[in-house]
Amino acid sequence: MSEKFGVKVEDIFNTMQERFRPEGAAGVDASFGYDIPGRGKWRLTVKDGTMKIEQADDLSGCVAVTRADPDTFVGVNIGKVDGTAAFTSGKISVEGDVGAVSTTFKLFKRFTPPKKELTVGEYILDMFGTLESRFQPQAAEGLDITIGYDIGGREGGRWTARIKDGKCTVKEGLALSPNLTMIVKAKDWVDLMLGEVDAMTLLSTGRAKVEGDMNLAVKLGELFAKYKAPGEEAEEGQQLLVLKKVISVGQRFATGPVMGKYLNGLKEKKILANKCPECGRTQVPPREICALCRVRCEEWVEVGPKGNVRLVDTAYYASPDPLSGETRETPYGLCYILLDGCKGQEVFAHFIRDDQLERIEMGWNEKKGTIVRPVWAEKRTGRVSDIKYFEIDE
Amino acid sequence: MKDGFDTTDCFVVEGKLALPYSYFAGRVGSKFLTTIRDEKRIMGIKCDKCKKVFVPPRQTCDVCMEDIRDNWVDVQNTGEVTNFTVVRYNDKHLPKKAPYILAMIKLDGADTSLVHVVEGMDVGKAKIGMKVQAVFARETTSTILDIDHFAPVS
Repeated sequence: MSEKFGVKVEDIFNTMQERFRPEGAAGVDASFGYDIPGRGKWRLTVKDGTMKIEQADDLSGCVAVTRADPDTFVGVNIGKVDGTAAFTSGKISVEGDVGAVSTTFKLFKRFTPPKKELTVGEYILDMFGTLESRFQPQAAEGLDITIGYDIGGREGGRWTARIKDGKCTVKEGLALSPNLTMIVKAKDWVDLMLGEVDAMTLLSTGRAKVEGDMNLAVKLGELFAKYKAPGEEAEEGQQLLVLKKVISVGQRFATGPVMGKYLNGLKEKKILANKCPECGRTQVPPREICALCRVRCEEWVEVGPKGNVRLVDTAYYASPDPLSGETRETPYGLCYILLDGCKGQEVFAHFIRDDQLERIEMGWNEKKGTIVRPVWAEKRTGRVSDIKYFEIDE
Repeated sequence: MKDGFDTTDCFVVEGKLALPYSYFAGRVGSKFLTTIRDEKRIMGIKCDKCKKVFVPPRQTCDVCMEDIRDNWVDVQNTGEVTNFTVVRYNDKHLPKKAPYILAMIKLDGADTSLVHVVEGMDVGKAKIGMKVQAVFARETTSTILDIDHFAPVS
């Protein structure tokens, strides 16, 4: 297996027969050898518009023997590595009649890797494996720069692309002080490269960060040709365009005196409720009028901060956060908490700490649920998110 | 409660509402845009019946109701301004900095007008009937802005 491109050397040889073009073989009568160190040797015999490919230990009698490492050999065959460049740089060598080898190029249709769904990790490897070959030297004239890629997440990694004298070399690891560093999660990077999401969306929602020379970041699109997934370049048919954007609409929320007092209380780590003068129930968050008695509630009490859980909802589908357009990770837990000082149905809804979701027990009637306490945000600005979430009080 | 209620605790939360959306250009629209992007060439669709050439292209002729989606024809990169306005305010969804000319441009070889930006001239000097030419974008985005703008032809 050529790790880099996900295609086996054997696949190239095994599909030669079906990729054979008799019209390209007119007038060719010769044997060609292939020596792929670590993988084996093959002999291709072409005669009278037919061909035969076989594994062979002895390549004597071939007009030319092509030698290449598995990655380069596969890369050239699937069109990911430029054959001429590989030849001039010595990654491919030919023993014998170099001119004869060029006749073999016309013999076969391009190898198309079977299309399969790649995992994020496989995409990441392929994307950085092909970065050098996608480099556009004409756009890099006079450039002497280092670009760092800090791809986060379990399937991520770190790479550095060095561009100098119209050449690009990609190495694993992050250079000390790159001119430009891109910091993004693996999944987002794959989506970006596949055109599923645009850079502006990632940057504006904070899912991607660029450190260093922003002008250079804008130029990246010119420095590297667009990434194509394995098998995509040979696919027939037209490209269909979908424009994906996030529209951002400014909005203002006037709290009014009651919600304002409640939100200001959160700033001071206080959960305030108001109490109905008729039925005595508390409302949190407070409303100006008791929803049952239809009378104005003007008495304030501090409740909580601890409480017991009455109900937990586990959300497996999250709609995008209206403030960022970002979709939170699922599953997450939404719990209804009866804060100390509240009774009956006077529950307060908030998030539960993700990793404790399974340990929460619900209460009913006289039975108490798990006791939880709020975890406050360090910087509180008078929003419900001043409480980050609730966690088990232990 | 009195008219002037206690406003001590009132405040305003400034936020923004993010609306993710996707727009599918369709088969006809995609081909129109990818040809501009990859070949720097503008194509229209011609109705065989009424001989009208649509730019931007459409899959049905609005006069004959014929399916015309495969009748691609080339049109010129040059054309004539059939109408225009000057955009004088800035907003983040707008493609250019104000003031700029937003014009309807009938390309040579087309019968309908394409809405696009005219740059490279004083906005006060725009005239109906003036000749313009497409200037293609260096960095492409797979949108109609792969024609960066139209510039006047002297």
